[in-house]
Amino acid sequence: MPDNRELIQERLGKLGLGTRRDEEIVRELGEHLEDHAAALEALGVAQDAAAREALDSVSNWAEFREDLLAAETEETIMNYRTKVFWLPALCALILSNGLLALIQIFGPLPRFYWLSQDMSMRPYFTFIIPWLISQPVVGAVAAYWSRRAGGGLLHQLLAALAPAIALLGLFLVILPFSVIMEKHVSHDIQLTGFLVLTVTWVLLPSLPLLVGAAPFLRKTQPQC
Amino acid sequence: MIGIDTRIKRGSGELAILALLDREPLHGYEISKRIAHVTGGVLQFNLASLYPLLYRMEKRGWVKGQWEEAKSGRERRYYHLTRAGKKQLTPLREEWSLFFQALHRIAGVAHAG
Repeated sequence: MPDNRELIQERLGKLGLGTRRDEEIVRELGEHLEDHAAALEALGVAQDAAAREALDSVSNWAEFREDLLAAETEETIMNYRTKVFWLPALCALILSNGLLALIQIFGPLPRFYWLSQDMSMRPYFTFIIPWLISQPVVGAVAAYWSRRAGGGLLHQLLAALAPAIALLGLFLVILPFSVIMEKHVSHDIQLTGFLVLTVTWVLLPSLPLLVGAAPFLRKTQPQC
Repeated sequence: MIGIDTRIKRGSGELAILALLDREPLHGYEISKRIAHVTGGVLQFNLASLYPLLYRMEKRGWVKGQWEEAKSGRERRYYHLTRAGKKQLTPLREEWSLFFQALHRIAGVAHAG
């Protein structure tokens, strides 16, 4: 009987899961095929034909290889994303909002700029200058963390911009509710308010976040 | 015989494997043989469909494979049901039972349970 491990190895190629795991998989599959061939032989099939038929039970080895790799790396991919994106992004979010809270409690008063003279209903820009000045540190920490963890350029960028992205998401959720619930406020004011909030809390902080992240952004080869 | 769609096979395969391993530890070939035998050949797993499923379940911590000597004297990788796998068995059984009840109501598919 030909060594089925060699034949499996030929068809699967190197799995890249580490020498030990690769060998274990090939050994286990080899044992399975050997049992399958033995069962066929017991039914009267010739030894060589039985071995061939057992091997041919896999119609597409390339697909089988992909399925094996997907099964083996399912958990790893989740860990990888957590490591290179979710953790640095969460850190940036906490740091950015923590600084905002501290500055609002202990820092100078924010500056307000109304879009019109009627200050009662019109949206206004809020500039918390010390907070904006602190944002490059947040961007830098998140980008550096993501890069050190092995994240690609996109992971580093998204992690650094996480505080702004989170607020954009929040505003996008609030806007439809506001349109439905606050019927006494005209839609043009609500939309202007949305744009003002987006500029104040998303676009503007994105700039210092990017400035801080820029020196740490590197194109790396993602690990998965 | 009508073939079972791969996605249905994959979903039901998890329950089938957990249920078999709840009785005793088995190696891969035995698992595929038992499934085919018990289901009268309706559910069949070959090398390509069984091992990705087993490895995924192992990654999730539902089963644990270890090399042990079989009756034949050869070492085989036996799969044992873990505590997490045992916990998974009851909700999976309920899920599939509900699924068949729903199918029965809508399409007259007989429910064996």
